[in-house]
This record gives sequence, structure tokens and C-alpha cells, in this order.
Amino acid sequence: MDGAEQTRTLLGPADPARTIVVAPPPVPARELIERAGATSPGTGHRRVRPTRRLVLTAGTLAVAAGAVAVLRPFDERTPDDRGGPGGAVGTLLVPVAYQFDADPPAAGPQLRTLASKIKDTEYDHRSGRYTYHHTKVWGDPVMSSPDDRYHVAFAGESKVWQAADGTGSQSNTQLEPQYPDEASRDYWQRKLAGPAVADTAAMIPLPPMELTPPPADPSQLRERLKVQYGAGAASKAVGTLYARYVVPRATRAAILRVLADVPGFRWRGRVTDRAGRTGVAVTVDEREHDQQSLLIFDPKTGELLAHELLTLTPVRISAYQLILDTTWTDRIG
Amino acid sequence: MGVRVGPPGKRDEGWFTSLYAAEYAHIVRYGLRRLADSDASAELAQEVFVVAWRRRGEVPDRSLPWLYGVARRLLANQWRSRRAAPDLLPIAHADLTRVADPSGADRTLGVADVRAALATLNDLDQEILRLVGWEELTVAEAAQVLGCTRATAAVRLHRARRRLAEAMSDPPARFRRPMLATTREDL
Repeated sequence: MDGAEQTRTLLGPADPARTIVVAPPPVPARELIERAGATSPGTGHRRVRPTRRLVLTAGTLAVAAGAVAVLRPFDERTPDDRGGPGGAVGTLLVPVAYQFDADPPAAGPQLRTLASKIKDTEYDHRSGRYTYHHTKVWGDPVMSSPDDRYHVAFAGESKVWQAADGTGSQSNTQLEPQYPDEASRDYWQRKLAGPAVADTAAMIPLPPMELTPPPADPSQLRERLKVQYGAGAASKAVGTLYARYVVPRATRAAILRVLADVPGFRWRGRVTDRAGRTGVAVTVDEREHDQQSLLIFDPKTGELLAHELLTLTPVRISAYQLILDTTWTDRIG
Repeated sequence: MGVRVGPPGKRDEGWFTSLYAAEYAHIVRYGLRRLADSDASAELAQEVFVVAWRRRGEVPDRSLPWLYGVARRLLANQWRSRRAAPDLLPIAHADLTRVADPSGADRTLGVADVRAALATLNDLDQEILRLVGWEELTVAEAAQVLGCTRATAAVRLHRARRRLAEAMSDPPARFRRPMLATTREDL
């Protein structure tokens, strides 16, 4: 019995809708067609905002030589070896090295300074029907051994093109397994049969969803960034926001100023992210969850380059997200 | 795994009527499993099919996972817009309240234990378990709903099952409100 069957066996009896007899549709199909026509143009005429349209941006995986500073490959692999068919066994992950590792200063003054000096980025001068985001993530989910000592996750890349109404396309590519420590690598190499195989999905059409671009107004932005739940929640919200929207310069500066006023952020100075890019970093420790959240910003444009989560005891990577490219475009693919 | 987009040719009213008749009940049940409101579930299903007609050129031949994906997005928006209203509650939370009742009336019900344990998991864990356990999707189909690769969905299912087992083996300590989940694949 495989995992899916076991899941059905376990959960099936607890299905709250299992014995419910669904009443026939209260409205005929024809009425829904008319409703669709009344609220939106038909197929081929997507409802979009007239000028600025959201799109998720993709880009190239800029794994530069500098990535050696944070990626420790083994089996003679280069940092950008993605573990394709027949590829080697994966990559060990080490934490990003901080400029201010011990006793880091409060981040507020540095974030305000950064907010005041950021410049336009390439997409600030572009427009398009779609936002485009190219991201690389690792750690969601992490697979753990039964005793919870050994961990592995497959890195994955996503490219998402999304219009203002949420429609668009997404492609996901599964990359090689990566490990937070050598013991995990040794354990999972024995468990994971065969070489890592790249798993590329075709374009997945995205159904409509509500998208609300982030506001530049500080009070609205504080709410959007979940500041009321603390610095940890705010850092996660920043990661989600940059992965979904093309954030204009004024809003980027406003985000930095909002974060500057949230207690808990510490300044980590210059760092190199996992794509080899130079950035400036802030962290927040959430001792109650034994977790540290790391945000890496572009020192010139204020864009978010990366968001990472680490466990504190021991210090170990538990998830990372690299935002490799963001832009506006009229074309999918 | 790829998603084959159906030919736009035969997507006429007859096709839509057949789709509506065949899948309406599945979408209502999807809503019922996540909402404590049958009327809201019926409304959700109608909205899903309005979207399906609007985007009929993109509905795959194997349409149910695509329809569940639409429902999932609509539901997320619905929850966001009606957060203050008490009429839309995750059904698992409603059950959690019942199970946590100190009267212990449900203690002998394994079903209640499973639901209560499920309620302690984060949304992504719950959703992969529901899609496979209740909607009876394959892992590849669940991946389509969640917008991730099949392999990622398989790992997520593995981990969610482990967490569910842990929650069931340690009930009182684990029956608490779920933590704010970190979302990384909501793209």
C-alpha cells in the first residue's frame, strides 16, 4: 500500500462530506454562462488592468563564482551543478557568513539610510502585461528521518508569469537534493535510491486569484507586512511579497523604513547570497521557535535578493528562497 | 508531469453543461470539507464553474484537479475578504472545538481524533492530506492543484503524514491552534 492509499485509508472515514448527498445545482449551466458574460469578457479577452499589469518575473540563475563562499559542493561538483539526470548526489548547505556575526547592531539606522539612497532597478523602467518572477527555493518541505536527525530537501526553481487578475502560467523544475549537514547527506544518500533526476513540469495554467499590489503608504504597509505579529512574521511577509509582486522603488524604500521601526531586526552587514550576489542583510531571532530569519537586500536598489530560515540550536539552514529575477513582460516563456 | 490544455474547439455550451453536471458535486464536497457552511460551498462551486466557462480554453481534459485549483484560490480570497465574518470557518476548527470539549463525549471516536489531529497541522500539510485522502487525487494531480512538482508533492505528503501521525500519538499537547505557516510556494 503506497502513501496515497494509506492516506485515504486513514482519512477516508474522517471525511466530513463522505456521506453527504449533494443537492442538484440550484442554477442551470446556462445561467452560469450568462453570469460569466455579465462579469467578464469571454475567452481570449482577459480582463486586465489597462496599463500596469502584474506578472511574475523569471530570470537566469546567476550562480557566480562567489557562490563558493556559501555553497560547499562535494564529489567535485561545481556550485551550479543542478543534479540533472545521472547527476551527483547534491549539495551541502552552510549558513551565509555575516559581516557582523557577534553582537550585531540594531538594524533600524542602517535600514533607514538604505531606504534614503536606493536607486531605480531595471524593471522600474519597464511595463508589461505580466509580472515575472524566477525563484529558487529549498526547504519546503524538508523530509526528515523517523528520529528527526537527518534532513533533505530538493531544491526547486519556479518561473511564474501572472497578470493582474491572477491568470498566467507557471513552470516548476525540481533540482538536486541539498542537505543541511554531512550526517544528513550520508543518511539520505543511502535512502534515496538512484541519481537525482531533474523533474520539469510543463507550463501550468494559473486560475484567477485576487492580487493586491503592496501599498507605499506606511500604515497600510505595516498591516500588509503583519508587523503586529512581530519581526519574524514581518520578515516572512517581505519574502512572500517580493516573490509575488514587482515592487516599485517608492514601495521598496517604504518597506525598509517599516522594517526599521520593527523591534528585533539586527544588522548583519555585507553578505554574499547563494547565487553569488553581494547584498546587505538583517536577521531576527525567534527564540520561542528556535529560528532565525534572514533577509538579504540589494544595496543599490533595495530589492529583496533572498530570504532564509535557520534553526538556532544547532545553527542550520532550514529553508531558503532566492529571488533570481523580477520584471514586467508582455510575453510568457 | 505536464498539464495538457484541451483544444479550444469543442468547448461549447454542451461541453460546459456536461462538465457542470459531472463535477458540480465534487466541487461542493471540496467546499464542504473546508467550510462549515453548505450554502457557501454551493456558491463556491458556482463561482468555480463561472471561472471554468470564462477560461474554457484552458480547462484540461482531466478537469477535476484544475477545478479544485480554482476552488482553492477562490476560497483563499473568500477567507481573506470575509475574515471578520463567523459564517466561514475551516471545518477542522469546528471539529477541534467539539473534540476539545472537556465532557469527553467524542473521545471514543477515532474519526474525531483524526480530524482534531489534522487541525493542528499547517494549511499546506492539511491541504495535501485532504486532496489525497478526501478528494482522492493522485499525488501528481494534487501537485497540479498546489502548483508544485509531483516530486515536491510526494515529499510534502510524506512529511504531512508523519506530522499527522505525531499529532495523533500525542493528542492533548498537540490540539492547539495551528501556528502561522510559512508560505513559500504561493506563487
